Amino acid sequence: MKLLLVAEYRDGALLGNMADLLGFAEKVGGNHTMFLVGNNSKLPQYGGKLYLADSVKHGEYNPAVHKQLLLEVIGKENPDMVVFCHSSYGWDLAPRVAWALKAAQVSEVVDYVGTNLVVPVCNAKMRRDVQVTTAVTVTTLQAGAFGLSELPAGTPDVEIVDMDTQGQIEFLGYEEAAAGGVDLSKAEVIVSAGRGIGKPGNLEMISSLAKALGGEYGASRPVVDSEWAEHTRQVGTTGQTVSPKVYVACGISGAIQHLAGMKKSEFVVAVNTDKEAPIGDIADVLVVADLTQFVPMLTEKITAL
Amino acid sequence: MEFTREIYWNVGHGPMTLIPMYLLAMVAIIVVVKGFLQRIAVYKKGREFVRNDDLSNRFIAMLTNMILQKKVTRVSWAGLFHGLFFWGFGILFIGTGLIVLQADFTDLFFDYVFLKGNFYKLFSIILDIAGLVCVSMLAALFVRRYVMTPEGLETKIDDAIMHGLLFLIVFTGFVVEGARMAVTELGSPVALWSPVGLVLAKMMAGLEDGALLALHKVTWWFHLVLVIGFISLIPFTKFRHILTTSANYFLAERGPKGKLVGLDLEDEEAEEFGATKVTDLTWKDILDTDACTLCKRCQDRCPAFNTEKPLSPMKLVNQIGDAAFNNPEANLIDTLSKDVLWSCTTCRACQEICPASIEHVSKIVELRRSMVLMEGEFPGEEVMAAMEQTEVNGNPLGIGYAERGTWAEGLGIKPLSEDSQVDVLYFVGCYGSFDKRNIKVAKSFVKLCQAAGVKIGILGKEEKCCGEPMRKMGNEYLYQTLAMENIETINSYKVKKIVTSCPHCYNTLEKDYRDLGLEVEIETYTVFLESLLESGQLEIKNIQFSCTYHDSCYLGRHNDIYEPPRALIATAGGQIVEMDKNRTEAFCCSAGGGRIMAEEKLGERINIKRVKMAVDTGAPVLLSNCPFCLTMFEDGVKGADVEDSLRPKDIAEVMVERL
Amino acid sequence: MNILVCIKQVPDMESKFKVDGGGKWYDTTDLAWRMNEYDEYAVEQAVQLKEQVKDADITVLCIGADKVKETMKKALAMGCDRGAHIADDEVSSKEPCEIAGIITEYAKGKHFEIVFTGMQSQDRGSGQVGVLVAEMLSLPAVTTVVDFSYDSGKIEVKRELEGGVKAKVAVTTPVVVTCQLGLNTPRYPTLPNIMKAKKKELLTIPTADLLKVDARQQTAKMYFPEKKGGGMVLEGEPADLVDKLIQVLKEKTSVLA
Repeated sequence: MKLLLVAEYRDGALLGNMADLLGFAEKVGGNHTMFLVGNNSKLPQYGGKLYLADSVKHGEYNPAVHKQLLLEVIGKENPDMVVFCHSSYGWDLAPRVAWALKAAQVSEVVDYVGTNLVVPVCNAKMRRDVQVTTAVTVTTLQAGAFGLSELPAGTPDVEIVDMDTQGQIEFLGYEEAAAGGVDLSKAEVIVSAGRGIGKPGNLEMISSLAKALGGEYGASRPVVDSEWAEHTRQVGTTGQTVSPKVYVACGISGAIQHLAGMKKSEFVVAVNTDKEAPIGDIADVLVVADLTQFVPMLTEKITAL
Repeated sequence: MEFTREIYWNVGHGPMTLIPMYLLAMVAIIVVVKGFLQRIAVYKKGREFVRNDDLSNRFIAMLTNMILQKKVTRVSWAGLFHGLFFWGFGILFIGTGLIVLQADFTDLFFDYVFLKGNFYKLFSIILDIAGLVCVSMLAALFVRRYVMTPEGLETKIDDAIMHGLLFLIVFTGFVVEGARMAVTELGSPVALWSPVGLVLAKMMAGLEDGALLALHKVTWWFHLVLVIGFISLIPFTKFRHILTTSANYFLAERGPKGKLVGLDLEDEEAEEFGATKVTDLTWKDILDTDACTLCKRCQDRCPAFNTEKPLSPMKLVNQIGDAAFNNPEANLIDTLSKDVLWSCTTCRACQEICPASIEHVSKIVELRRSMVLMEGEFPGEEVMAAMEQTEVNGNPLGIGYAERGTWAEGLGIKPLSEDSQVDVLYFVGCYGSFDKRNIKVAKSFVKLCQAAGVKIGILGKEEKCCGEPMRKMGNEYLYQTLAMENIETINSYKVKKIVTSCPHCYNTLEKDYRDLGLEVEIETYTVFLESLLESGQLEIKNIQFSCTYHDSCYLGRHNDIYEPPRALIATAGGQIVEMDKNRTEAFCCSAGGGRIMAEEKLGERINIKRVKMAVDTGAPVLLSNCPFCLTMFEDGVKGADVEDSLRPKDIAEVMVERL
Repeated sequence: MNILVCIKQVPDMESKFKVDGGGKWYDTTDLAWRMNEYDEYAVEQAVQLKEQVKDADITVLCIGADKVKETMKKALAMGCDRGAHIADDEVSSKEPCEIAGIITEYAKGKHFEIVFTGMQSQDRGSGQVGVLVAEMLSLPAVTTVVDFSYDSGKIEVKRELEGGVKAKVAVTTPVVVTCQLGLNTPRYPTLPNIMKAKKKELLTIPTADLLKVDARQQTAKMYFPEKKGGGMVLEGEPADLVDKLIQVLKEKTSVLA
């Protein structure tokens, strides 16, 4: 099996999850090379062959240009599988490449079993094993699904790719996330506080945990009603409906309106002293503990990771 | 001696008196008729509306409310003052009428005089006392309005005119009487039958007869002019309520209470739904605004107004009236503001207390209908999401519909689709089906039925939201869709009786579904359980406990079910410490009118305010009968920080503990 | 201006899913159906564009069995002008390439200036169809769009990238746009529009007339993953609990990776 791994670079920085690409390669086995539209001064930590196109010359992401460059490399390498991350870059570029190669594309792969690619269905409620019937396969990998805990050391053996191509899409610039207002609906991790946190001062430890997990903090209606947290933080049918990867409910018993607002979360951790609280029914993990002890300890450990 | 007096004494009974007098009276009548015709023309800008059923009872209701001042006197002091003034003034009016009847009719044409002897004595003293009562009540009301000025009371020029005019009319009446008595009755036993007049007569006794005669004559005519002025002003001042409020009593809703008028969604020609302008409301809605006397009783009881939200039912009604008379083409929704319209919980506290039988809630729903059906607008995105969830899954919580019957697994009850031979269909409702807290209540109810040997069934996944919150939010289309589906399902089984544990479901099935073809008997679980207790089918232990009880709006004001829940609590051994606001005056939990789906963004939290009222009773348990109330109180005890000292529970839960 | 909006009817994600008898897709009993969330943004954007340019005709296309017409009616009620229902009882077994092929075949020669669709479907979630249609029609495609503006034959959009960063790009029409959460708030259809929608054109075309692409992949098996935490309850000393939870988060989620 011969893989071509597609790494990502944007606005002067390497992106994408090298750990996923390499983890997948390891799982599948076989040889691999890598493709990147990036810059010589910021090479990925990769011990194999790297086809590098210059992002200064080719500009920021332009689908038609990147497709042509990649097809050029594919022509040289003839890989069995072209591997992207399931990112804004991957899901924009992969289908274009797949169509050009008359290849099947399998999106958001989470596992590789036998010769089947495993993908989630219906918000990861179910899984599907996919068999590909084309010679070449294009895949995109779910973030974190194959992550190696440590990247193997290495310096790439760089081969420059270059050609004169143009796309119809004109890049106008980047816009950074606005500071201030929270949009919980897009947060990947939400740590929410319920009345079980006891007093407004304890909200601090909730927001610290959220920060440690790279997410935002939310609150139940009673917490917002008591004016311990602002309205934009309220999770529930009368607040925001959220669907993070991980939802940590701290001291939330789980009133129906709250549950309805967060039940789309992929993984729910509930921290509560009451084992019988309704939140326990939908939680994947229920930690029976005193919040004021548990949460700061957890934050500390995670920060130290 | 003969106890009587000469009518038209001193002013004379000739044409010089009668012609101007009757001319003035005719002018007054013409002015009144014209004035009201103008107003009726404005009422007619409203849509057609028919309320002509049960005419005799309507008439009786009107008379009892007018004459007995039933609704007015429900509020102590101000209401009593108004009632006493009304009765006093009414007596004076009748007295004057008798005088005219005798002088210008029976005596004139038939030489028949009845104001004499004992009847005259009675007549004289009653009128004197009535006049005194009028003056005293005017004084009391004057002090209330201008000196003590209760919060929120709006005072306009009308009020000053009314106070001044009414006082002058009664006062000049006494002056006329006093002057006449000073000349004719001082020292005579007749005078004793006019005690107030006698006092004035004695005060005037020092005046020369000539002066007295002049004073009497001038004041007599002045009194007459005042009365003519009063009558003429009726259509143009708040005096109009004498007629408009009476008319409103006649046209009042005669039940089922609070039942909304459905929209004809089959009508393919219809392009407008709900009300955007005042002309989209009915003529009765406009008459309502004219019947309002700004007594502010509605506002005093409105849960939205009392938690710093922009809604005042009184202001709303008057803004609608203002639009009808001054700007009928204006966009009423903008005039009133959307926040005002969304703030209403349809708790009916305004309508229940209104001494003029004004219907506030239906107007608000009608305006909401326009926002929802014509603009696709809601108080917030969360409400729109709840509507969409309901369209997809039949419940506003968005939980998969197939799970609706899961709560009942293992309880020994089945969906009708599996076994339709049941005594009672339990219509569970969304919260009882999906909310863990309320599932406990639903389970309690099932156990009580089983203990009483009643076989109940549910619809399970075939049941859908009854549509009440959607309907009250103005989404008539979604409501009717849900209702039709539920009715079709229910009718497909031979259901004998339906019991609900949610007052919102109860109200909807019992009233609204009737329009769409549901005929089965419906009962709320409190009434149903009470009958099981009474018949001895159900027995529970009496274990003493202290609690307070919250009347949900939809069991209470909307359906007048106040005592059966209390009877259940008493049988269970509960001693109720009533909150100040109970029964018809109960304060809403915040979740009515579809507000269960909405975020409460403005003002103080209604549920917390209500929980605090419960806390004030000192009772450790807050009992209720409604899943929405229970949900709000569970949040409310946290918000009010009384989780440890006040436990919200449903009545069924305390009963099941005592099986 | 001719606009095409491609929508999909998907089960409500709150439904209780079961694997069907064939073991290759979910069972459709007890499911509640709705418009794919991302496609709702597509419909809304198309309608907003029509409101802006006035002279536009929006065709909404949906592939599936007869029941998808219910979802199409919602799109028509939101403001689409006509419906193209591609009748296909086997839609769930079709892979993205086939779906894109069908759409392309339908769209060919109809001069759609903009094709809107969701960035992915909520059930299959491949996220390929929009881009494939563009490639097949040789049109440019902009994906994961969260902001859209149109001015005389040119669109300017913001694409949502990772970490809250957005890329602003411009392109001349014709173009394919795939819509992401945050683009707009889909309107709630008004009652008069629901009534009107009942009378709008809704043509049904058999899928066989349009399917000219072969499948490139197939589902071998559909199944439920092992329970993530499976309602795991952790009790004990806080310090141990912290370690246990971190372990679970590492195993079952990607947040600590």
